[in-house]
Amino acid sequence: MRKLFFIALMIAACCFAENRANGAELRVPDHAVAGQALSIATSGSGEGTLLLIGPGEVIKHKIRLGENVEIKGEELKHAGRWIAIVRGGSPQSQVFWVEPGDPDNLSFLARPSRVPVAHPGVISGVAFTFDKYQNLVTQPTDVTFTLSVGGTTASQKVTTKNGIAWVRSSSAKKAGAAQFVAKVGDVTVARVVQQVASDPCNLRMHIAGENKDGIKVQTDAIRDCTGNPVPDGTIVTFIETDNTGRSVVDARIKKGIATAELPASQKAHISVASGVVLGNELNVGGGE
Amino acid sequence: MNFHSRQSHRDSAMRPAGPPSRLARVLVFSVGLALILSGAMPLARRIFADTNPSVHLTVANAAPREIEGSTQQSVLRDYTAAWKGLSTALAHNTLAPLDENFTGFALDKLTERVKDQQQNGLTTRIIDHGHKVDAVFYSPDGSAIELKDTASLETQVLDGGNVIHSDQAQVHYYVILTGAADRWKVRVLESAK
Repeated sequence: MRKLFFIALMIAACCFAENRANGAELRVPDHAVAGQALSIATSGSGEGTLLLIGPGEVIKHKIRLGENVEIKGEELKHAGRWIAIVRGGSPQSQVFWVEPGDPDNLSFLARPSRVPVAHPGVISGVAFTFDKYQNLVTQPTDVTFTLSVGGTTASQKVTTKNGIAWVRSSSAKKAGAAQFVAKVGDVTVARVVQQVASDPCNLRMHIAGENKDGIKVQTDAIRDCTGNPVPDGTIVTFIETDNTGRSVVDARIKKGIATAELPASQKAHISVASGVVLGNELNVGGGE
Repeated sequence: MNFHSRQSHRDSAMRPAGPPSRLARVLVFSVGLALILSGAMPLARRIFADTNPSVHLTVANAAPREIEGSTQQSVLRDYTAAWKGLSTALAHNTLAPLDENFTGFALDKLTERVKDQQQNGLTTRIIDHGHKVDAVFYSPDGSAIELKDTASLETQVLDGGNVIHSDQAQVHYYVILTGAADRWKVRVLESAK
């Protein structure tokens, strides 16, 4: 029993001694920053090899034990958990941490790329802050978002949380290519958000011509509720109903107006619509 | 007389010893059990290293958008797969598990790490004891999710077959996932103090 106790005590003492020896042979800095030079102190004598195993690289240096090892800034690119191992005799190792550098890069997501005018909270911008070596900068940093279109500009400053800043914005009343810019320090990233006319407003049509072959109907200039012309190519649907049945014509807007030829009828009811928007109605043969 | 005395000594030597004490039996059994366990534990670790790590995901703190149930399940599935892929890639110095689960900066960094390991004859064995993951950001358009992960990891660095470093620690990670064609992929995986 005494022998067993003695053996257990010896093992514990060896473990403790080994642990202390490891700590003494390799000294890594408490504070290291990606892209900045680093000095690692070793003890002992003779030749050895220093291995630095980081999140995205392995650095290997031949060293003289007992001397400081200088690691260049450009070698130490990645932030996170590193392991330093000295080989020469029995391996000695230490874990140390490298923090990200200052913000030097932005990833900017602007959504959507095309948006109708005058819609509240429809545009979102998300910015991720990175340093020179693409490490996520988790320290709070101010990011300025600017949305400008047609001479109007809206700006907002947001502080990052966990490396991310985001903003939600309304689309402007005027159609056009809006510049959506995120800025941190001297770094600026721009995206274009195309603001297009919204749904038609006050959709109106009139009879443009009538003969024995058909009725020609034409809309007035089609605009949205803030006065922006609805883009050419948008579908406008004309529906003619009479005692013989129903005729439907889908026409595209060309140069701001839509035109359709409907079958001739003694007495017909004609309606017009675009998307979910209904326009005026006409009665042909029985007067409007 | 002389003969007699020698005979007497032989008798005492041949006399069967009494039954071993209970304490001795327990000690022998304990030592045997310890030996078996010391051999079995590394084997078990290797077996379990190839299974999925345990990941516990909380989405209550996600903002500005709430994470839907189906998205939560796919994030859990894909993040678990990413850690399994990372362990496999670092243990065998293979790139395929990285390509399947990582993208962008994370893929670039881990690819470089695996290539450097291969060049230096190193491998890294990660024995994954589980992750407590908190979703902290879900972008308004649903294209990006940020997670904060507290991982319990045992890390062994091997040169050839020899372990040259071993440690066990709780490591905090910032993780950004972005949507890919059929899954979430890890775009940023950064450990922090």
